[in-house]
Amino acid sequence: MRTPGPALRGVTPRQAATLSALVDTVVPADEYPSGTAAGVLDYLGGQFGRDLAGMRAYYAAGLDAVDAEAGQVHGTSFDLLEPARREELLRALEAGGTRTTWPFDAAVFVSTLVGHVMEGFYADPGNGGNRDAVSWRMIGFEVRD
Amino acid sequence: MGPDAGARVDAVVIGSGAGGGVAAWVLARAGRQVLVLERGRDLDFAQIGRDHLRNHRISRYAHRSGPDYEDGPRVVVEPTGHERLVRPHEPGFHGNATLVGGGTRLYGAQAWRFLPADFAMASTYGVPAASSLADWPIGYDDLEPFYERAEWEIGVCGDHTAAGRHWRRAKPYPMPPLPEGRQARALRRGADALGWDVVPVPLLINSVPYDGRAACTRCLHCVGFACPAEAKNGSHNTVLRRALATGRARLLPEAVAERVECDPDGRVTGVRWVDRSGARHTVETDVVICAAGAIETARLLQNSPTRREPDGLGNNHDQVGRHLQGHAYVWALGEMDEPVHDGLGPGVSIATLDFAHHNDGVVGGAMLADEFTVLPIAFWARNLPPGLPRWGAENKRYMRENYRRVMRVGGPVQEIPSPHARTRLDRDVRDRWGIPVARLSGTTHPETLRTSAHLTDRAREWLLASGARRAWTAETPLALHAGQHQSGTCRMGDDERTSVVDRWGRVHGHDNLYVMDASVHVTNGAVNPVLTIMALAYRAAERLCADW
Repeated sequence: MRTPGPALRGVTPRQAATLSALVDTVVPADEYPSGTAAGVLDYLGGQFGRDLAGMRAYYAAGLDAVDAEAGQVHGTSFDLLEPARREELLRALEAGGTRTTWPFDAAVFVSTLVGHVMEGFYADPGNGGNRDAVSWRMIGFEVRD
Repeated sequence: MGPDAGARVDAVVIGSGAGGGVAAWVLARAGRQVLVLERGRDLDFAQIGRDHLRNHRISRYAHRSGPDYEDGPRVVVEPTGHERLVRPHEPGFHGNATLVGGGTRLYGAQAWRFLPADFAMASTYGVPAASSLADWPIGYDDLEPFYERAEWEIGVCGDHTAAGRHWRRAKPYPMPPLPEGRQARALRRGADALGWDVVPVPLLINSVPYDGRAACTRCLHCVGFACPAEAKNGSHNTVLRRALATGRARLLPEAVAERVECDPDGRVTGVRWVDRSGARHTVETDVVICAAGAIETARLLQNSPTRREPDGLGNNHDQVGRHLQGHAYVWALGEMDEPVHDGLGPGVSIATLDFAHHNDGVVGGAMLADEFTVLPIAFWARNLPPGLPRWGAENKRYMRENYRRVMRVGGPVQEIPSPHARTRLDRDVRDRWGIPVARLSGTTHPETLRTSAHLTDRAREWLLASGARRAWTAETPLALHAGQHQSGTCRMGDDERTSVVDRWGRVHGHDNLYVMDASVHVTNGAVNPVLTIMALAYRAAERLCADW
């Protein structure tokens, strides 16, 4: 897991840690890099200053809510959970199974987050993520020119 | 170069896309002084970019190639009556690329002629209740010479012999088709097994050097992007370029036509337009040619009311803006045993026309073809099988193992038009120039969905016969389809009570006002419409010059 870039300074260290853990739950490491290792946080950092500037408060509240959920279910913060427990918790939220009070629909937050993480992982490196086109090499989308 | 923007001109062409480019070329060549007003910017390759999140194939955020976010929204009225504002890059805006060259700068460039039966839908199938299905006042034979001219002057690659099984063709294509890749070979085997006829997809792309420009480099960013080699033939590098080279045409980018001006007798006298600073200008002209696309052309006519025509030019019978249609796209995805992605664009390569018409129990049909190279993020968003988790290790593994194995077959179902599918002026919302925005409402006729269901089954069948180990699809929803294939809002006809333009594209009741874009399509064909837009513009512009 990578430390969030400077563009994420607008979020608290706790929220940043939760976001990193979420990104690597959505795109976990295997033979190929995880989401954070492939630059997804750099992508998100750029977008929070651009197209997603209006969603920073939404994200902050969602990250707090995920962390609160982890505390309620497991008694610890989300980023300290084992990967399997993180996935389990995120799947439950995706299905609408919350144990704490959310400020908005948890399932919508998860699908929104997943969409943005995938943009950072699979879109062109010019958008700040997909470092060295690693996801393109992984799937066999090879740009020659 | 060309007439001064403040001077009187012979003709003003509004829009520089498929129809406007041809119109400007034909008129300038015939010695006319032409002013082309293009609302979009004149963008180079780098400005358009290869941004996977901001393009006309998958637009997650505001477009780089227009329409711009700041230009203003449209209002969409849902079937429930709920109204919402839609921004240019959002689903439901039904936009087309807005830059010099219009959609032809970025298109996939499929160069189909409409089939003879496409011009005679009502007499072939009957008219479904509550639809506005009608025959065209002209037929394939009227357009055939102009299709040929578009193929040669703009540049199409294709297989003359294979196409000759479906169209009467006098002359071969100027270029051979691109070589078949893995996708096409697999689908050819499947079609052989099913006994279906296939044809290489004709493309407005140089398969060999042509007209002084290079051959296609087979890159992976074709549809939705500008061509790095200028091997994709659009208005900007063919007809529009030639029009400007005569010295008699002038192109004004970022020039928004606001209103067509008339004298008290209804004769068109000029066009009022807005420049990038917001300043208004009026150019006087003998002839006005609207080629702004089905939504913007209708909007312009509606925004030009006179005492004689209080609802807009050509609109005394409430026809302008109705019958808005595009194509209902059907699709199926198949997962193959072996990789079919071979890293060679543009991707689309092989088609069957066996289900374009005369399908049992349904009206019309569609051409079915394989798909353009899919951007990875678009593959993640649209091409994954149902039931696969949307994220996590299994999702990542599926992407890795199957991006090169999954292929799509799909096609444009000819819509059964509805008079209730329409674009009007919104009474409250205005764009950045203060002009009322388009208000879109209605859906395709429900009969379209029966045809779609039949074609969806054929797409799936083709994939399975081609070796797919599994295939999946989804039902076509009842919706409005306009967007890049938008058409029908100023339909062509002999009766002014049920149409807007005559068979030569001239607006009923006006001697010098023309429409030369897909607005005039009575129905939109079982294939992609751009070559028909070009052919109709050639035909109408030549007639206009002959009668001048």
